[in-house]
This record gives sequence, C-alpha cells and structure tokens, in this order.
Amino acid sequence: MADLGPDDVRRLAAALSLSLSAEDAVEITHRLNAFLDALAALDPLPLDRVEPWPTSPEGSA
Amino acid sequence: MAYEPRGICVNSTEDDLVFAGAARQAALMRAKRVSPRELVTAYLDRIAQLDGRLRAFITVCGESALAEASRAEAEAARGEWRGPLHGIPFAVKDQLDTAGILTTSGSALLRDNIPPDDSTVVARLKAAGGILLGKLNLTEFALGGTIRFPYGQPRNPWNPDHDPGGSSSGSGIAAAAALCSITLGEDTGGSVRSPASYCGAVGLRPTWGRVSRHGCFPAAWSMDQVGPLTRTVEDTALVLGLIAGYDTKDPTTSHSAVPDYREALAAGAKGLRIGVITELVDGAETQAEVRSAVREAARGLAKLGAAVEDMSLSFVHHAGGVFMALCDSEAAGRHRRWLGTRPEEYDAGTRRRLIAAGLIPAMSLHRAARARAVIREQVLGALTKYDLLLAPTSPHPAPAIASHTAPVTSKEEAARRFFGRRSYTTPASLAGVPAISVPCGFTAGGLPIGLQLIARPLAEASILRAASAWEKAAGLASRRPSLVNLPAHA
Repeated sequence: MADLGPDDVRRLAAALSLSLSAEDAVEITHRLNAFLDALAALDPLPLDRVEPWPTSPEGSA
Repeated sequence: MAYEPRGICVNSTEDDLVFAGAARQAALMRAKRVSPRELVTAYLDRIAQLDGRLRAFITVCGESALAEASRAEAEAARGEWRGPLHGIPFAVKDQLDTAGILTTSGSALLRDNIPPDDSTVVARLKAAGGILLGKLNLTEFALGGTIRFPYGQPRNPWNPDHDPGGSSSGSGIAAAAALCSITLGEDTGGSVRSPASYCGAVGLRPTWGRVSRHGCFPAAWSMDQVGPLTRTVEDTALVLGLIAGYDTKDPTTSHSAVPDYREALAAGAKGLRIGVITELVDGAETQAEVRSAVREAARGLAKLGAAVEDMSLSFVHHAGGVFMALCDSEAAGRHRRWLGTRPEEYDAGTRRRLIAAGLIPAMSLHRAARARAVIREQVLGALTKYDLLLAPTSPHPAPAIASHTAPVTSKEEAARRFFGRRSYTTPASLAGVPAISVPCGFTAGGLPIGLQLIARPLAEASILRAASAWEKAAGLASRRPSLVNLPAHA
C-alpha cells in the first residue's frame, strides 16, 4: 500500500472540518501511515471467526 | 491556618515515617505514636522542598489537609476512627474529580475546571478517613506523549533527566519519592503500570469494572480503569479494597463481592501456576538488563513455591498498534469539538496523536476491534491454564525525557515510539484483566525495572499474593531514591 502524503492528510482532515498547520500535517502523516501499516498487518490473520466485542461479559473467563 | 514549610526532614526516624507504607502509618496512628497533623506536615515539607523540581503535583491542598488533619486528630482523641485510612494523606491523578478543587486532566483546556462533586474513588478514600493532600500531574488528558506539560515537566525521582512514565506521572513520582502516603492513578493502556515500573513503585490496573470510573475524565472509555499506585503491595491491597465494588453512578461496575485483599497476601506464591510470556521476556525489544531481572524474578517465584514455565501469546506483538488505534480513535471522537475550535490549546503531541487516530479508515478500525477480541481470547485462554502471566512491564527502564520530545520524522519512528513498548502493557488492557507492576531490580545506572503479573478477571488477590511474596523475598521496597541532586526549583 502506498503511503499517504501531507496533502492527502490535509484533505482527510478537511472532511472533519479540521485545518492543519504544515508541521502538524507532516507529523500526522507519519503517525497515520504507521497506523495503516500496523493495521494492514492484521489482514492475513484469522480475525473473521470472532466478533468485535469491546469487553468480555463478566465471568466469561 | 496557613502552612509554612519547615525544611526537608533529615531525621532518619522521620524519613522512615514518610517512606513507611500507609498500613504501617495507620498502625502507628492507632498506637498514638504519630498524629495526622504530624504526618500531613511531614509530607507538605517534602513537597515544598522537592516538588519544584519533580513536578508531581498540579495542586497542593495544604490548608484544607491541615484542617482535616486537626479534625482527624480530635476524632482520634475521642476514640472515633472513620476507617482504615483515618488521618492518612493521599493524592490523586488530576483526571479524577474533586469537589471544589481544580481538576485539569493535565490540559490547559481545563485550566478553570472546578467540579462540584468528588469522583466515587475520592469519596470512598475520604469516607475511609483519608485526607486529600493534592492533585497529581499527568500527560495531557491521560493520553501520553505530551511534549510540553502545561503544569510543569514531571521528572523521575531516581534521575530527574529521565521520564517518570505516564500517564499517571505524578502518582508514580509521589509514591516513589514519598510525597504522600498513597496515590491513585488511572490505567488505560499501562498508565498506572508504566509510572510504577519507571519510578520503582507498585501499581495495579484492576479488572475492567472492578472500580468505579464515575468522575474520571475518560481517555478511552472501553479500557479506562482507576487503580492504586503505592510504595508497597500491602498498600495497594489496602487501597483496592476501599475503592473496589459496585457503584450506582457507574453502570459498568461489577456486583461481585470485594474480597479482603490484605488477608489474601498471607497465602504467598505457593501453588500458583505462572506462565512466562516468552515473546515479551525474550523479544528483541527487551533490553538485556530488563530480561535478566525479570527472569530472576521468575526464578524467585519458583523458589517461593509457584510452578513457573515459559508459554507463548502469538498475537501479543500486535497489541500496541491495535490498542493505539482503538484508544486514540475513541479519544479523538470525544475531543472532536475542541480539536476544531481550540486546537492551539492542546499540546502539539496530544493534538497530533488525536487527529492521526481520527483519520484511520473505518474498515481498518473494525479489523483492530476484531484483533482486540482475538488478543483477549488468547489472554483469557492462557489464564485457564495459568493463574498468572508474567512479563516485563516495559522493555526498557525510564528513557531520557529528551528522547521522546523531538518531532516524529518517519512512520517507522512513529511505530517504534508509540506502538512497541505498549505491546507489553496493552494485552491486559485489551483483555480487560487485572495486572500489576512491582519492582524487580535496578539497572547498572540505578533506574528501576518493573515486573508485570497478569491474572484472570476479578482475580486481583492472586496477583497481590504473588507480588507481595516476591516483594518480601527481593527486599527492594526498602530502596529509596537519594533525591540529593534536585535543585529546589526547575
């Protein structure tokens, strides 16, 4: 997957009505690309057999 | 009555008193060998002398604490004891509401926030006789990664050039440097355990739902949990027993009965089955001194009668990235309005962290939510075979403050700085299970190393008995930071 650039990130932020300084845009780009890599690494894993419960019901351990 | 500092205590008996555990102090108080006012004054003196440099406190409640101490003293003279903390000074992370007292969550955005009511945990410590001494510093909004702290840079008592850990930074400092008897922190992804590890204190993240979060400013609601940060395991057991239990103001709290955690300590480590998480102990990120100290602790627990063996949690290396995606996106949603209207009032590190997470695509985030379920499944599955899982709290000792305030210059650096070490503490957070950090050694440079023990839901007693047995065997609780090279003011 190609990395996002600061202009891409500015456009994504604009969709949330957030405007970014030049410094923020550069660092947020690095941080967001790190997130995308970390989460892309989950793709080959067998995640579809579980449901995304945020917590475990009490006593289920 | 106005408080005036007397100067740092140099008398070894008084030094022993301030470093003693709250349980010991309470016993001395019942024996009339120390008074609440003496204890409060001793801590106010230390704060006046040391906190200009350590910056553990955002607010010190000196006058109200002395007034409460006088009241506690008069009650004790009449034989009236409010509870096990009668006359014991405590301090809490400034993320917890305190009636009529500034509560900032470590942010300039809340510089004028004075809540009308106490959080449930503060109310419970007061009801047990505790005296609120002050509010403790933290990374902004308990998120970690703050570059410029609006209320002063918190510093590690063992070496002021080093990070005290976060987000409950002030709680770790105040416990380790004996600036109060006991503290409370809040742990979302390691925010109690990390400062405990870096500062050489004891810090417990309880089971999600074991302790009320009413009046606690959320970091990530699905994982936040309030917990004690103290100098001894016994004090952690004491505090947990007071703050745990169902709360009508927090519907996520458990109805399960609260056991006598202090009584459980006597059982020791004998008979416990402990699995050593090899990916975290032997992983490439784990520094050699940390690995050696943690392996030594595992051997020590085996000598104390536990059955200890290596085991594997294959998904554990994904935990840091998965946690950050879920935690930060939850937080970004909560902060969206302020990010749009008052972005310049955030610390740059917090603002960038929140916005980056707010831009993660929904499909990726959904994968992270499924990964959390798998990590939880692995952790809970391991805990059907073992009573406890053992790992380092952090792969390294406290880093230099300067090492993590520079701008992030690549995605690889972002992953290393923000995901790597979090894989050590976040498996327990993602699984909602309890975990403790207890000191297990020191580096050659004199920085503490933390041992992490993880248990199944609501099995805090198992953690505490093993941690207490280890603490006694290792004899590390008596080691104190020298605090001699601290200038009075930063």
